[in-house]
Amino acid sequence: MLSTILLTIGFSAVLAFLIGIALAFFNQKFKVERDPKIDEVRAALPGANCGACGFPGCDGYSEAVATGRAVTTKCSVGGSATAETLSKIMGIDGGGAAEDKVAVLLCQGTKEKTVSKGEYNGIQTCRAAKLSTGSVKTCSYGCQGLGDCTLVCKFDALAMGEDGLPHVNYENCTGCGLCVEECPQKILTLVPRPRLGSIVLCSNRTTLKASVIKTCKVGCIKCEICVKSCPEGAITMVNGIPVTDYAKCTSCGVCVEKCPTKCYKLLETDVFGTKKMVPVMEGAQA
Amino acid sequence: MDLGKIFILALLVNNIVVMRFLALCSYIGMTSDVGQSIGMGFAVTFVTVLATAATWPIYQYILVPLNLTFLQILIFILVIASLVQLVEFYLKKNVPGLYSAMGIYLPLITTNCAILAVTFENISFKYNFIQSISYSVGVSLGYLLAMILLAGIRDRMKTSPVPKFMQGTPILFMATALIGIAFMGFSGLIK
Repeated sequence: MLSTILLTIGFSAVLAFLIGIALAFFNQKFKVERDPKIDEVRAALPGANCGACGFPGCDGYSEAVATGRAVTTKCSVGGSATAETLSKIMGIDGGGAAEDKVAVLLCQGTKEKTVSKGEYNGIQTCRAAKLSTGSVKTCSYGCQGLGDCTLVCKFDALAMGEDGLPHVNYENCTGCGLCVEECPQKILTLVPRPRLGSIVLCSNRTTLKASVIKTCKVGCIKCEICVKSCPEGAITMVNGIPVTDYAKCTSCGVCVEKCPTKCYKLLETDVFGTKKMVPVMEGAQA
Repeated sequence: MDLGKIFILALLVNNIVVMRFLALCSYIGMTSDVGQSIGMGFAVTFVTVLATAATWPIYQYILVPLNLTFLQILIFILVIASLVQLVEFYLKKNVPGLYSAMGIYLPLITTNCAILAVTFENISFKYNFIQSISYSVGVSLGYLLAMILLAGIRDRMKTSPVPKFMQGTPILFMATALIGIAFMGFSGLIK
């Protein structure tokens, strides 16, 4: 009995020892040289694997940074803090931190304020709706309201509101741009968080004033009052939409006041100031 | 029993995956791409044959004389685990593409029941060393065959209208069951 126990212990120990030595030997023999900087950079990244940097996940980006193929400011999730850490690891000058951006929806066409073409019963994604109907609303530029953007968001920063529009939670939004890519209407855009000034929350680029009035109560009707009234001359019409030159804009609010359909808003008060986040309604999206 | 018979029995008649439903984890997990499944199949083949070559002598010449046959499970798992580790070192150095493609499934070969089953059966079927090697080659090539079959079917499935409730793993098991029925045709091959 005792000899069996001793034999068991002895044999197991000897075998484990031999295997351990063999593995250590082969580990040395097949050793792969790996830049320790890759692991350092990887540890400094947030690990969201969102792909906003343009590389396949955080692993891909850390390898690119460590080998000098990519700049240190690409990570929009980590923002300036991460860029600084990466620059420190790589021993280079920061070269300007990553711009802190957030996604803004350039459409105010809620269910009440727009006219829909009819009841859409197809596949419940914006992309399918856009393909099959052109647009579920009579405005062919507006938000389809089926929440494709909320599904791709990895940071819980987008949710469909009761009004039929996605609402951005600007505290959670990291500016990774996944929703901007996903939106078939291309009406989400990235705006630097510290930016001050006015912005048009409408993407309707048709030049026919009457058609805008018919389709949407908050659409830009191309009256160009904003262009004429701006005391700084900061607003110009570009492709049927007024665009603010933020180098000139002083946030005086004249355009916001004068806009007859209230589609001009001030970024600091009306857009980022609201921070409203309406919880997802049951069945509001597919 | 001659070697050819053992080989064909292991490869077709008692195919480890489709007839005995062993090693299904990696079978489902690694067949999304034909190239990957072939790589995995050969990795398993390599580990199985090496494991047989290592465990059979250990059992016959050490465990039996020392009367320690109850240690079979422990020792065999230890040997297989270190062999997998060895394969991992090798792939990391020489085939990094396959290494990253295999991901978690490479360490999972450690607990791949096909390999453990082969090493146990070599003992319980009372095969000699050459027969054991033939059996392990047959089983692991049978595994490779099943992997390639399912990977090919999955390629076709990507463009097929699979009913929603069957999408994903369910349809794969259905396909495996159908392959199994087809493999039953081999059962009369060897008397």
